[in-house]
Formats: sequence, structure tokens, C-alpha cells
Amino acid sequence: MLKKPSATAKPLWKKAPFKSSYDAVIIGGGLHGLATAYFLARDHGMTNIAVIEKRYIGFGGAGRNTAIVRANQRTQENVPLYKEALELWPVLTRELDFNLMFYNCGNLNLAHSDAALKAMRTNVATARFHGVQSRVVDPKECKELVPALDISERPRYPIFGGMYHPPGGIVRHDAVVWGLAKGATAKGIHIHQGTEVTGIGVSNGKVVSVETDKGKIATNRVLNAAGGYSAALSWNLLGMKLPISVLTIQAMVTQPLKPLLHHVVSSGAYHCYANQTLKGEIATGSHMDPWPNYTTQTTARYIKHQAEALIEMMPCLSGIKFMRTWGGLADMTPDMAPIMDGNHPHEGYYLDCGWGYFGFKSSTVTGKYMAQYMATGQCPEILAPFALRRFQEHRLMGETAALVNYTPDN
Amino acid sequence: MALTITCPICGARNGYEFRYGGEEKGPKPDEAALRSPEAWCDYIHFNRCKAGAQEEWWFHRDGCGAWFTIHRDTVTNREIPGKEAGI
Amino acid sequence: MNRLNHLDTLKIRPDESVTIEYLGKPFQGAAGDTIATLLYGGGVRIFGRSLKYHRPRGLYSLNGECSNTLMAVDGEPNVRGETTEARNGMVVEPQNVKGDPARDLMGFMDKLSPVLPAGFYYKMFHKPASLWPKAIKGIRKAAGLGKISPHFTMKGSFDEIYLNADVCVIGGGPAGMAAALAASQAGLRVILLESRPWLGGFFDYRPGLYDRGRSLADRVETDPNIRVFTRTSVIGSYTDNLITAFCRGDGSDAFDERYLEIRAKSVVTSTGCIERPLLFAHNERPGVMQISCAHRLIRTWGILPGTSAVFSIGDDLGLEAALDLADLGMEIQCVADVREDGQNEALADRLAEKGIPLFRGWVAAASDGDPKVKRVSLTAINGVRSREFECDLIVAGAGQTPVTGPLTLAGAKQRFDRRTGFFLPVDLPRKMHAAGRMLGYIDPDAIEASGDLAGVKAAADCNGADDSKIREAEERLGDLQGPARGTKFIIGPVKTGKTFICFDEDTTVKNVDQAIAGGFDVPELIKRFTAAGTGPGQGGIPGHNLPLYVGLTGQSPDLDPRPTTVRPPLTPTLIAAYAGSNHDMSKRTPMHEEQVKAGGRMERVGVWHRARRFGDDAAAAAEIENVRNNVGILDASTLGKFRIFGPDVLKALDRVYVGSMSRVKSDRMLYSAMCNEDGCIIDDGVLVKRGENDYYFTTSTGRAGSSAEWIRYHTRYENWDFHIVNLTDAFGVINLAGPNARKTLEKVADADLSNDAFPFMGYREFSIKEIPVRAMRLGFVGELSFELHVASSWMPALWKIIEEAGAEFGIRHFGLEAQNVLRMEKGHLIIGSESEQRTTLHDVGLGFLWHKEKREADTVGAAALRHTENQEGRLKLVGIEAQDPQQTPRDGSIIVDEKIRGYVATARYSRTLEKSVGMALVESELADIGTQLEIFEGEKDDERLAATVVPMPFYDPEGRRLRM
Repeated sequence: MLKKPSATAKPLWKKAPFKSSYDAVIIGGGLHGLATAYFLARDHGMTNIAVIEKRYIGFGGAGRNTAIVRANQRTQENVPLYKEALELWPVLTRELDFNLMFYNCGNLNLAHSDAALKAMRTNVATARFHGVQSRVVDPKECKELVPALDISERPRYPIFGGMYHPPGGIVRHDAVVWGLAKGATAKGIHIHQGTEVTGIGVSNGKVVSVETDKGKIATNRVLNAAGGYSAALSWNLLGMKLPISVLTIQAMVTQPLKPLLHHVVSSGAYHCYANQTLKGEIATGSHMDPWPNYTTQTTARYIKHQAEALIEMMPCLSGIKFMRTWGGLADMTPDMAPIMDGNHPHEGYYLDCGWGYFGFKSSTVTGKYMAQYMATGQCPEILAPFALRRFQEHRLMGETAALVNYTPDN
Repeated sequence: MALTITCPICGARNGYEFRYGGEEKGPKPDEAALRSPEAWCDYIHFNRCKAGAQEEWWFHRDGCGAWFTIHRDTVTNREIPGKEAGI
Repeated sequence: MNRLNHLDTLKIRPDESVTIEYLGKPFQGAAGDTIATLLYGGGVRIFGRSLKYHRPRGLYSLNGECSNTLMAVDGEPNVRGETTEARNGMVVEPQNVKGDPARDLMGFMDKLSPVLPAGFYYKMFHKPASLWPKAIKGIRKAAGLGKISPHFTMKGSFDEIYLNADVCVIGGGPAGMAAALAASQAGLRVILLESRPWLGGFFDYRPGLYDRGRSLADRVETDPNIRVFTRTSVIGSYTDNLITAFCRGDGSDAFDERYLEIRAKSVVTSTGCIERPLLFAHNERPGVMQISCAHRLIRTWGILPGTSAVFSIGDDLGLEAALDLADLGMEIQCVADVREDGQNEALADRLAEKGIPLFRGWVAAASDGDPKVKRVSLTAINGVRSREFECDLIVAGAGQTPVTGPLTLAGAKQRFDRRTGFFLPVDLPRKMHAAGRMLGYIDPDAIEASGDLAGVKAAADCNGADDSKIREAEERLGDLQGPARGTKFIIGPVKTGKTFICFDEDTTVKNVDQAIAGGFDVPELIKRFTAAGTGPGQGGIPGHNLPLYVGLTGQSPDLDPRPTTVRPPLTPTLIAAYAGSNHDMSKRTPMHEEQVKAGGRMERVGVWHRARRFGDDAAAAAEIENVRNNVGILDASTLGKFRIFGPDVLKALDRVYVGSMSRVKSDRMLYSAMCNEDGCIIDDGVLVKRGENDYYFTTSTGRAGSSAEWIRYHTRYENWDFHIVNLTDAFGVINLAGPNARKTLEKVADADLSNDAFPFMGYREFSIKEIPVRAMRLGFVGELSFELHVASSWMPALWKIIEEAGAEFGIRHFGLEAQNVLRMEKGHLIIGSESEQRTTLHDVGLGFLWHKEKREADTVGAAALRHTENQEGRLKLVGIEAQDPQQTPRDGSIIVDEKIRGYVATARYSRTLEKSVGMALVESELADIGTQLEIFEGEKDDERLAATVVPMPFYDPEGRRLRM
């Protein structure tokens, strides 16, 4: 079963020469950018493509998220997208011949009030309407699923029930970055790390070039998939503003433990989720200080808050130790749904941003459809609801029922 | 990171006493000017998301209750005097 | 136990014994022992097994850089044996092993290492696909170190303190103490944090410097300006000089661990150095230890670390340690020094005197022995010659590494310095200073002078710059020996794959080579791919070796590789310690206790505790019935209550309320709503005029905290003269509702409450038994109702008066569930329940509240209300009735055909109406009365409930009852 590896490992991805012309340029070597590149090649035969990354692939949100995947969103615009995303993990593992380590452990979301239970029923009904497994469970079953939970009346927010979503779980986020880079470069796509985009050339309402610190590239298609930096880029390069606020979001891990949590467990009231990675660490988040910043730095207040929340939910965790905490950027929109758009304000300019803190779970499927969008110039039906236009038309997506606290408009 | 904000009334205080109130965009245009959805959206929803110094609104929620603007570098999360900010 | 109890440098109290249990057997040590020193003194050499290969691990460091001595203590996993003080009765178990780690059944894992290259997880177990789920089980079982029971209960007491200081000094070694003294002399309040139980740092285990360290410590400890925290580890450091730490109790303290948050005007970091591990084959075998570990074992704990040792070192501290250990009775066969020259010749001479050979330009190449060290082979760094020695101890070090975490966390950068070989902290954040050994100083006088300079600079941060003092301190330092030349990064010829760059993750140099060959060519990526530096010790072991090694290979595009980012906490910290006393910041109304006594089931609603119902019936049927037939009393104190007044008050109100505020009268309530700029409804409530330019208004409970900021926000560009006062906590509210409400109140009020004198929507102020009340005739629940606003202090008295008055009319409590059903039957909405974030005023049917003509007011949301007034395809609020009264759709179920067309907001079986009715948001095409709807709950497969859109309100549509 186990073969001895060859003494010299082959590079996972190839370095490529910098060319002065590509059929498309993708800004951002994160998951969305790499996935779009991969699917442009796989589904549309477009391989003369450059992925431009300022730092190294997976530097941003791709390497900083806590890798949770699920398809139990609230709206019918979102669920089909995330459902397909879940189905893609095993497919891509095979195609890329790279173990993305999809750990299908299921997700338990806790309700601490009748109002939260009501919201879960909406999500459960929406999921099942789309053929996605999900169900409302009582506190007893919550405890059976996650024995560490305190389901008594003692905690600050007693548990009223939960939503159990078996198809979800966690994926090894770094593996997805590397696997997609492997797959994309194998198909001939160029990844240029350590390269910064400094301009987008537009002529007669059409994209004609991308300028970088390594030279100018002639191209008529460019995708802005720069994650937390996409809004600033849009403004700096095109003077185009977006309905985005960029916040630092934090997460942390504990020291590694033998198996304790067998599911992803989360709670809106505590603003907290936790899951155990295959390495044994409890990964837990997440908090955003509600003011824009690009620091990606953590705060003293949050790690303390997280400790308080965790031991209310699962008192046994008081006996373990936090080991590492970090931050990443979340580009938040007013309705907590992403923006996917194209040929606006210039023909050939494509946007895939506003993914906030949920850009990981959707990355591969988004890449697939953004690739279709870029290859054909026509917006795939599944992406149509995510157009930028919805904000000026007063049609916010119903993904969050609650008001958000990082814009002044509430 | 930590955040310290200087309230014009209370002085430098822990940033968690305050609530962020958006980029400074100038007074809201009157209703007639906001009749076009584009103009409305531009003022209400759109941001520059500047990585660097910006002028922005803050409210001293756990304090005097004043709204005021400061200049802050969004990359370092540090308040900067307006003149240094070059704004 | 044979200890060298005569040494004056000891930190144990030999005559005070401490006994712990390890592997079921008692082990005895002395007070002051750590778990690891106690066990080492008792002969234990193998403390645990490594994460991946189950390699035996022993005592390597005493600073907590690696997971070698992680153990379970009293059920708590991953306790660092080397830094945790032993206490009587502790039950200690090794981890990642069954039984004694000296004989581990999983040891065969080590033999598998050649087939488990870096990142092997990514390349294995996925073919065929069916293998992966099985592999997960195996991986999970093998992963992880400690074990915790889901039923574990943490014992002990945890709390927190928040401190302010002028200067915070991190590190209680000579530089830190000198800095603290300098700042204190400038009259400043100083906090000094030291992780060990004593001050002294670099001086406290070295024979020639111990006394000097002690006398510095005496000065610091008796200085009234300096507050010393020992046993205190800094865990976080943030911009603007926010420092976090935790303090371990000394056994007599009132706490077991205490979280500290310190705000200082200036910070001095004097955290010294740790040792850079020497890279050679099997460099982590039990019996290999760092220089300071061996030296401290004997000097601080009186334990001879071995009987026959070979040293492989790279600086004079290694020579000094070898001499001292030899003086104290350890056999030292030889000292290999990677330096070909540049040794302190006095030390070299003394070694020669003692007959200890010094091999210049030599280094350890491999250790041998199973499971413990039996042999070492040394090699000349030019690779030409090598020699083997039988020994039971290899003291190995490759020089020093500065501890810069507190600086880099706060934003300092690191730059490689050729002289010291250190990644030195540069671009320090303002009002942060570095001092001492971390800057490369090794001379004791220079270390102290460097601390003194930092203390003077910190004082200048607080008191204003005094350049002359800074210059004097700089000159004093300048006259002394500068930063010492560091140890070159050298790695002997690697013949096996077992040269470990990270012990915690069993990452070898070969793994790093594999990663680089695979394209992972910068330290951050190598870290992720090989996991080096992601274990319990984080970067402690691989932190600086990794970038140095990557730099050496020349394979990285990054010609100047930096260490990977250090992240908080700098020391793994108990979640219990972070949580501290875990305050619950919630609010209770004045009637809280009263309602609990009456059987109220309290729930958290936002920041408040409120009664959901009284008694066991989740449907609150009796409460509902009583309000409909008699009279009920509800504590509505959580309502937002505000006074707003001033010459420009009407302009401000017109700005935020959709209605026309000039219509607000003094004797009559006006119901109105607020929208956000998107035209979405965010609040509703009533207003009344209490005087000229003086108004009182209510908001929903959820908006009480943000209404003042909302009004001020939307008037922030205006120079309007008005004031707003939040009276939410100052006033309690009693809602008295039901056909007998008037009869009840009439008995006690000093006012005419007849329908003519006090009609529906009226506002009156009168007294009840001399208690002044503000009374409103409202009808949220659809019955004759009085809402009484009264000063919070009067609430219990007024409540009692009314309860007594109502006794003969059947008064009883009702809670939120009863109110929810009652108002739903009446078609009254609750924002957030019947509306979503995207629901406009029009959508909920309250568009009529909007006074379109007041354009000059620039009302918040007016532009959007105009845009959306006749917009198609929006979700509209409608009444629904279930076809089968016994099949009430659940709140939150969805309305479907081929697509989702809407949401059930609230639905209940109404006993009053004997049908199941509710409110739903449906697409406008489905909003017409009589439309048939299909409701999907997702509880049972595909089952759909039938319902019809019906007019609202369901109950008393003419509104007679609330106008009685």
C-alpha cells in the first residue's frame, strides 16, 4: 500500500516565464482565482492565462480560514451553489490527484432561543427543498452528537435545539490551494507569485491590458479575485467603488488533542464555532471588530471573548490551551452575500468579491461558473442573483435576516 | 491590534467605547439628487475601502454620545492627526 | 534523590519535600521543583512520545519551546512539565503513549518515516476514494497529543485584573531590572513581568553573576514604584502598548491563574534569548539537551544532568557551562565547538587545565542509542574527520536566538544581522523599546547598560524627552562591549533523514528539502506544508533554524528568508485563564425576582432577561385566555424610552421618523416608524409631546441601545439644537391588558379613566396611590390596555398595588409567548419577526405611515421608499390561514411552488378563533386575498400544508375591543 517516494520530489506546480500577452489575467492567487483558472482550462480549453499573486499563493483568506464547508444557507439563490460545491470536493480530489482531505463530519448549529429555532427551520426547509440533508434536532440529540455540550439551564444561553447538517464538514484549505495550482499549471496556466498588479488599461470601454510591477500584459479579460483587497483594487485601478467594508476576522486553534469533537459545532448567540481538525487542534472563531482595517492582526478582547464563549458552550474546554490565533480579511457586503459580475463598468472586467468570511466553502464552484462567465461573456443563470445591481435596486439578498453592524445604515 | 480613538470631548480612549460610522462622504445629497438609483447607491452603499489614511465617522457610544470624524490609517489601525494624513 | 543541596544558586527548598504521582508511582522532589525537574531528579529520562513517529522524547529545554515534556496533570492535558511547578498530590501521566513512554507499542511508527515524506497526507489515501473515510479514522486516532474527557471539570479559581502603568517591562533579567530601576528613578509607576518564579534571568544560574543578579533583584523588589509580577507569562502585545499576560498562583494566592491586561505609556521588552537547536542526526534523542538546560538543572535544581557528557556548542556560554558542570562533578569527555577560532581563551585554557579536549571547528553529527543516548559521533565541519564517544548526555547548542515575540506581535519587523546572526527587531512600534541580550549583548555590564538606556527612553516617553539623559545612557552603553559575534549556522553532513528541525511535528531537514523541491520555497509555505512550527511549542524550536536553513539552501526566491510570523498567545494559555471570571453582562428589570417567584420562565432577549411564559404550558394558553377574558399584567420595562427636547427637536424627529412629527399632540400618542436608508423598517413606537419642544417616545427593546446614536448620526452634519436622553433603564413599564383593565386601574388611580376622558391612543399623566405615572392607552394585544411608565424605583410598589386591585378581576401575569400570540391574532407585527433585513415599510403594509410630502426633512429612507413604492416582485406581509386548523405551520417554514416564494413569520393555533392563523412574507404575486399557498416545513418528506391568504387582523377586525 505504501510506496517509498522518489528521492527527489517533483515540483507540485511549475514556474513559468512572464509573457506580455494572455487571453485572460486573474488578479489574486487565492482559491477563487486559482479555481477560475483551473476551470477555464478544464471546461473551456483556455490555457493561455496568468494568475497574478502579489505575495504567494494562498497568502490571504485561502490560508487563513477555518475550512468549514456546508450547504445549509438561508436562500434559494445560495443553496444550489453551495450544494454543488460540496459535491465537487471528491471530484476534484480525483481530478487533481491531490488529497483535499474532505472530512465529512457534519455540522451542528445551536439555537439558543425560539427565534433562532425559527431561523433554523427556514434553513432546514430550504435545504430539504433543494435535496440537501439537514434537520432540526432537540437538545438531547445535540448532546449525543457533541457530548462536550452543556445542555442544562446553567449556561448564559441555554440550548433550545439545533440544526444538524450531515453533508458538511471540513476540508484542508491549504490542500485546495496547492491542488488547484497543481491542476492549473499542469494544464499550462501561468502562476506569477510575488507580482503586483499596478493598473488596468481600458480603451473604448474595453479592458485591453493589465500593468504589473514585472511588466505590462495585453489581455481583454481580467478577473478581480483579490479577496480582501478587491474593493481597494477596484477603486485604485478603475475608480470603481463597491458596497464593501473590509474587516479583519480572527480565528484560533488550541493545542492538539485526541478526538473530542466529531462534528463542526457553531452558535450564533455566542458568536462562536469550533471543530477539530484532523491534526487534533480545536479550530475556533470567529469575530470581526466592526470597523474597516487591513491589519490582519488579532485583538486581546477577542481571544478572551472566545474563551468565555467556548466554556459556556462546552465547559470541558476550560482545561485546554489556546496555541495560535490569527487574522485575515473579510470583504463584507451589506447583505452578507457576494458580488459576482462581469463586463461592468468595462467590457472584459469581471468581479468575484464580497465573499466576507464564507469564500472558502464556495470557492471551487464559483471558479467553475466565473470561468464560464469569462469564457462566454454571458452570466450563468446561477450567478445572476449576485450581480452588483441588486444594491441600487433595493433587492438585498435574504442571506442574513438580521441587521449587520459594520455599516452605518442600521 | 488595539485601537485608541481621540474623542473631541473625552480625549484618547479605548476604541471599544466607540462605534464606527462609515467613511466620511460629506453631507447626504438631498432627496431630489438621490432620485437616480446610481447616485443613491453611490452615497449609501459604496465605499472606497482605502488601504491607508481615511477620514471616517465614530460615535462615542460608551461615553459622551458625540459623532465626530478622525483620520485613521486602515493598514496600521492607528489614528493619525489630520495634517499628517495629508487630507 | 541525590541533589547538590549546597549550591547557593538553588531555587528549590531541599528540606520541603513535594510528592507527585507519575505512572501510578510516587515521586519525591523538593519545593520549587517543576514537574520535569522532579521527575528527572527521580530518574525519569523519557517523558513522552512524539506526535507522528512516536519517538521517545526527554528533557531538552527548560523554557517550554517544545512539546517533549507535555504531560497530563490531574486530567488536564498538554501541561508543560518543564515550566509547571510540582505540587503535592499531582497525578501526572505521559501523553500519546499507553503506559511507560520508555516502552511504547507505537514505536514502530518511527520505522515508517521513510515512506511518510513531507506532506504525505496530500498524496496518499485518496485512491481509491473509498479508502479515505477509513483513513480519516486512523489519522484522527493517531493525531493529537493530550486527551480530555468531554465531562472534564476544571478545578481552581480564575480571574482577571486590568492594570495601568507608566512603563511595562517584559522580562525580569538584568536588562529588564535595570530598565525598571531607571524608569522608577524618573518617578514613574513600573510594572515588571517575569515568567519564572524569580527575577534574575541570564544571571541567576551562572556562578560568577548570581550575586549580582540577586542584588539587582533586591533593589527592584524593594522599590515602591515597581510592581513585580513573577510566574507571569506575556501572551499578547498589541499596538498602543496593550500587553496581556497570565500569572500562575504560587499556591497561596487566591487564584490559580489570573489574566492580566496592562495598558502602559511605554513598554520595554527585555526577553533575552533562547538557544537555537543544533541540527544533527537524532538531535532530539533523550539524552540530548540544551546548554542552559544542563546548566540550570545543576545550578537551579541541584541535579546532575548525566554522568558522562559530550558537548557540542557554538558560543562561550557552552564553554562556561562545560567548565561549571565539570567543577560540580560531571565527567566531560570533550567539547566540540563549531567555531574554528574566536573562543574566549581564558575559558579554553581552563578546559585544557581540566584535561577536557576542545575540538575547534567540530560539531555533533549523530547521536546513537535506543531509546536513550549511548554514543555520539562528532565530525570536523570540513567533513574530513570524525570520532565517536560513548556517553549518556549530549549537551548541544548552536548559539542564541532572541525572543522577539512581544515586539513583532505589536508590529516590529525582523532583519537578519550578520554580526550577531540574529533576526533583530527593527522598526519598533512607537513607545516600545528593546534591551539586553536580545540585541546581542553578552557582556553583563552592557546588558545592564542597555536596560538602563531603554528605561531612560521609556521615561522620556512618559515625562517628555530629556535628550541629555538619553545621551548619557547611550554613552555609558557605547563605552562597553557591543553585541557579540553570533554563532554561524552550520549543519553537519546529514546521513539519515532523522535530523529534526521541529520536534513537535517530527519535521526533518529532509522534509524541508522535499518541500522546497515541491515548490514550497518560502518559510511560510514550508511551515504549512511540513507543519514545522505548528505544534504546541509553535516556533520555539524551528523558529530561526528554518529561515536560516532555507537561506543556506539558496533554493528560495526569497534571498533573505525571514522567520515565520509569531502569533499570540506567546505561551499556550488555558482557556480557563483567558475566560477568567466570565462575567455575564446582562440586564434585569425591576420585576425580575417577582416574575421568577410567580413561575416565570426567564429567557435572554438581547441584553435582557424576560419572562417567556408562566408555568409549564409552552403555548401559554391560560395566559392568553385570561387577557382575552379578564386582565393580564406584563412587564414591558425593556421598551426603549427617550426624552428628546430643544428648539430643533421637530427637525430631528422628522429626519428619522417616516411620519409628520408636527402632528404629535400632548394628549394623544402618535404611532410611527423609522426606516434605514434602504427604506427598510428598523423600528416602530409611539411619541407624545410633553411640553414645548419636549417629546417622549418609545422604541422596540432591540433598538433601545442604538436609537440615540441613530438620531445623532442622521443629524451629524446639522448644527441643530436638541438633546436626547435615554430613559430606558430609568423607567419601568407595566402593560395592563384585558376587558377588566379599566376596572382594575380605576380602583387605584386618581384620574378619570373613562373612555371619553381617556380614549384609545390617549396619553395622560396621573398618580396611582401617589406614584406618578405616564399612562398610554395602546392595544398591542388587541384588548383594552393601559401602558404605565413609572420610575424604575416605583415599579415593585406599583406592580403590587395593581395586582392587589386586580385580584377580584382575575388578574394574572402574562409573558412574551402569550403577547406574541395575542398581537399576532390582532395582526400587529414585531420588527425582526415579521420583517427581514430587506423588508421595507411598504412591504409590511405600513407605507401609510410615510408622510411623502415632507421632502425638506430629508427623512432617512425616503429616497428608497420612493424608489420601491410600486416595485414588483417584493416579499409582502400577508395574513394566512391554514386549511386544516389542526395543522399549524411552524414559524420559519417556507412557502413554495417550484421555487421558494415566501416565509412563514409567525403562525399559531388560535384558541380564541379556533383556527390556525399567521403572518407570512410572500412574493407580491401571491399576496392577494384568497391565494392558495403551499407550505413546506421540511420536517417530513415532501409534505406540504395548504393555506390561504386572508385579511388581517384575524381578531376583532373592527378594533372595538381596544377602544372599549
